[in-house]
Amino acid sequence: MIQIAFNSFLLALLSVPVMTLICRKRKGLDALPSILLILSLVLGTAVSGVSLWRGDWLGLDLSQVMRFPFALSVDRLSAFFLLLICGSGVPVAIFSTSYIERNYAGAKRYWIETLMPVFLLSMMLVVTASTAFAFLFGWELMTLFSAGLILVDGDSDARRHNIFIYLLMMHAGAAAVIASYLLFLPHSGSLDFATMRAAVSTMPNGLRTAIFLLSFVGFGTKAGLIPFHIWLPKSYPIAPSPISALMSAAMSKTAVYGFIRFAFDFLGCGQQWWGYLALTAGAITGLLGIVFALAEHDVKRLLAYSSVENIGIIYLGLGSSLVFQANNSPGWATLALTAALLHSLNHSLFKSALFLGAGAISDATGTLDMEQLGGLFNRMRGTGIILLIACCSVIGLPLFNGFVGEWLLFRSFLAGSELPGMFGAVVLPLMAGVLGLIGGVAATCYAKFFGVAFLGRPRSAEAENAVEVPSSMRWGMAIPAGVCILIGLVPSLALRPLGALAQGILQSSSMPESAASIAHTLPIVAGCVAVVLAIVAGLRRVKRVTPTWACGMPGLNGRMQYSSTAFSKPLRKAFTKVYKPERVVETQFEQEPYFAKAISYRAGRTASFEKSLYRPAVDAVISMSNRIGKLQTGNIQVYLLYIFLALVALLFFMRFA
Amino acid sequence: MRLAIDVFQTLLLIAMAPLVRGVIARVKAIIQRRQGASIWRPYVDLLKLYRKQDLVPPTVSPVFRFAPVVLFVVTLIGAAFVPVLQNSSLLGIAGDFILLVYLLAIGRFFLLLGAMDSGSSFAGMGASREALVSTLSELPLLLALSAVSILARSMTLAGIVQSNLRHGLFQLSAIHVLAFGALALVALAETGRIPVDNPTSHLELTMIHEGMILEYSGTSLALIEWAAAIKLTLVIALLGGIFCPWGMVSTLSIAALAFAVIIFAVKVAVAILAIAVIESSVAKLRMYLVPDFLGVASALAILAVVFTALTR
Repeated sequence: MIQIAFNSFLLALLSVPVMTLICRKRKGLDALPSILLILSLVLGTAVSGVSLWRGDWLGLDLSQVMRFPFALSVDRLSAFFLLLICGSGVPVAIFSTSYIERNYAGAKRYWIETLMPVFLLSMMLVVTASTAFAFLFGWELMTLFSAGLILVDGDSDARRHNIFIYLLMMHAGAAAVIASYLLFLPHSGSLDFATMRAAVSTMPNGLRTAIFLLSFVGFGTKAGLIPFHIWLPKSYPIAPSPISALMSAAMSKTAVYGFIRFAFDFLGCGQQWWGYLALTAGAITGLLGIVFALAEHDVKRLLAYSSVENIGIIYLGLGSSLVFQANNSPGWATLALTAALLHSLNHSLFKSALFLGAGAISDATGTLDMEQLGGLFNRMRGTGIILLIACCSVIGLPLFNGFVGEWLLFRSFLAGSELPGMFGAVVLPLMAGVLGLIGGVAATCYAKFFGVAFLGRPRSAEAENAVEVPSSMRWGMAIPAGVCILIGLVPSLALRPLGALAQGILQSSSMPESAASIAHTLPIVAGCVAVVLAIVAGLRRVKRVTPTWACGMPGLNGRMQYSSTAFSKPLRKAFTKVYKPERVVETQFEQEPYFAKAISYRAGRTASFEKSLYRPAVDAVISMSNRIGKLQTGNIQVYLLYIFLALVALLFFMRFA
Repeated sequence: MRLAIDVFQTLLLIAMAPLVRGVIARVKAIIQRRQGASIWRPYVDLLKLYRKQDLVPPTVSPVFRFAPVVLFVVTLIGAAFVPVLQNSSLLGIAGDFILLVYLLAIGRFFLLLGAMDSGSSFAGMGASREALVSTLSELPLLLALSAVSILARSMTLAGIVQSNLRHGLFQLSAIHVLAFGALALVALAETGRIPVDNPTSHLELTMIHEGMILEYSGTSLALIEWAAAIKLTLVIALLGGIFCPWGMVSTLSIAALAFAVIIFAVKVAVAILAIAVIESSVAKLRMYLVPDFLGVASALAILAVVFTALTR
């Protein structure tokens, strides 16, 4: 039954692009492809949800049809990530129905409508593949389709450069992933997942470590771990907003899936330092990601850096799980892995709402520069409330879903104090502080985002005249925001299946008892808050409208408010070492040095991984090639000389070796 | 009976909060050789504010008036987490100290939003500075609480208190001293006291918390003021409960309860005296030195955590 549903879901999704092409010219059938897309995604969500809850196994073997071993199978882990992709696909598809219609016309529109379903399909292929070939096929398509979708929005030189960096980094990552698959080959007869899993026990330790490191780098690049993240803030912001939402909510999770598949499933968790490696990477990524996000004043760039931060939090969970597993405490490993999985789910939910919200903002105002926004809450009430919920979730406030994942992480870090080794007992509890600091900066960052964009007075005419977006776009954002609250209030809904999944992966029997307590706690606290809130909200509060205090002067306007740059200034000053800021003040004079005509002020950060890490590497490669290039003179006599020398060398070799 | 005491201690914490503020102001006045207002003055102020109208800027959104309500509610709920008179609390649940820290963060987040909604530059300035203080105090706060929690092998505040109750005063370890130092510094910063913020300053350019709530008035201001007072009392009770828990009710009797109330009053009095002396003798830090101040707290907290691993 469920197998049939799964097959028909894939078939339906595959038929969406075809339908788009067929219905293109027919007036009445315009909406049909999007309806089909939404319905098939809902079906997919249902199938994967049931499969995750019950642990059913689904499969589809196409090896007979294809010339390559190409098989899909859905175990619990795959079902969860399939659920993430379908689940974030539904709101995005609903949002897109009117967003695409309002913002794209003609060929562009059909390109997006055709590419989006196949992009979704390629991600699903990645998480359901059970052979290396199918996996890599999906992995590559995923990159290309998303690049294609970014290109739809325009192909100026700057955008092309960004896409080039994106493709370059993705292929470097893919090379590492392919290499990590190929390293299985001598020991495993085929690149079928089941055979690979069985072959690991016969592998030497060094080989396993090599596979782990390659997969860490390969999937880390896709996930956006610092320092492999440079493509991420370049590509998310320039994609159409629904696609940014998909890239952040779903595509980055395929990398998390890949890492779990390799490190936990194939390699069976391995040595302790693997865990510390992931933990360190997670801590650095989380901290730097959110600190960079704080300095941004473009909504989508801010969200992109915040995605980097959330990937860091997920890796914190994965790393601590690996450490616990290596130290024979499977209970805590299960808890940490559950936390990482739950945070993946949470991140998909609130980040899809936030990126769609960015789409709604740009749709309503035509700009994403926060310094031009302001006062949107009164103009776009629905979008405002939804984004407020999403902001509360992303910074991990209790009663919203983000908190549940972070609480579990805290719990597992504190349990690290019971580890046998000194190192772990120091490092893991300190990570609780890192997580706290990340949360604190995130709170400031999102207070800035919401406060500057939605509250106060409008800072430009565009923001002043903003009009609420149509209801389908609001519904698209409201669905993930609603699930955020649902998981925040009733965590057991997510904790039960995810706990079972983590237990399955780690083959542990149970989770520590105290871990589940949060599931009982939060509904109680939520009840208390609701009761007290109702009482306090009922207090007598008479309102009288008076102008904002401006030291007794008239004419306060939107430009006089604290801006996004000003708001983050104290914290940016505290993190000067991270940003290495530069500020340029140029004054043009009417009559030097007294009457300034114009003062221009520019500030930015000079710290960048491109400059400090990638540029030197690229320079080294280029200078090396230049040196090697000198061999190529283009002179035929010289080439003859080379051949002669090679011949002599070979003769010597054959004679004496 | 235990439940009754739980309810009683929570209500006590909420009800006595304005009094603590009043006493601090009075003690400061005495130190500074002034007459000073009555210690009951904050209650009268709250009542007066409650009766007044809310003056609301014309451009604000509903968030502006919703924020004080949220702040007040989460602070009330937070008060139910703290063991005051006996070694348990109304909402004593596993991992409650993390929940407590994050609950208080909800209130702060909404207050930041409320300030930015008012459209005033002063409020924005205050919000930006408050964000600096609260962001940087998160790490020492969580780590110091983690250190005592690891030491007590318990994830609940009641468990931490219990573990310290079993020990005598002279069995407190260096970890407790370090964690106490970190928490005391954070407490000063989080509740907006000198040397981080001056609660009596009303000069726009020097304000942090007061600047943030500049546009609030009437009932909304009453809610904010009361919430701030509860937070201060809550933090004092928390520090007293964790690091000096002796004197809590152990046998359930009226006499024991009365004794516990008196001991608690003494603890609060000591804290009040300390705050008043600090505020009368130390100048406010320059704002950009606040990160250093909290950096000291972070260093103490990190050391406390490292020592838990060293000394097991």
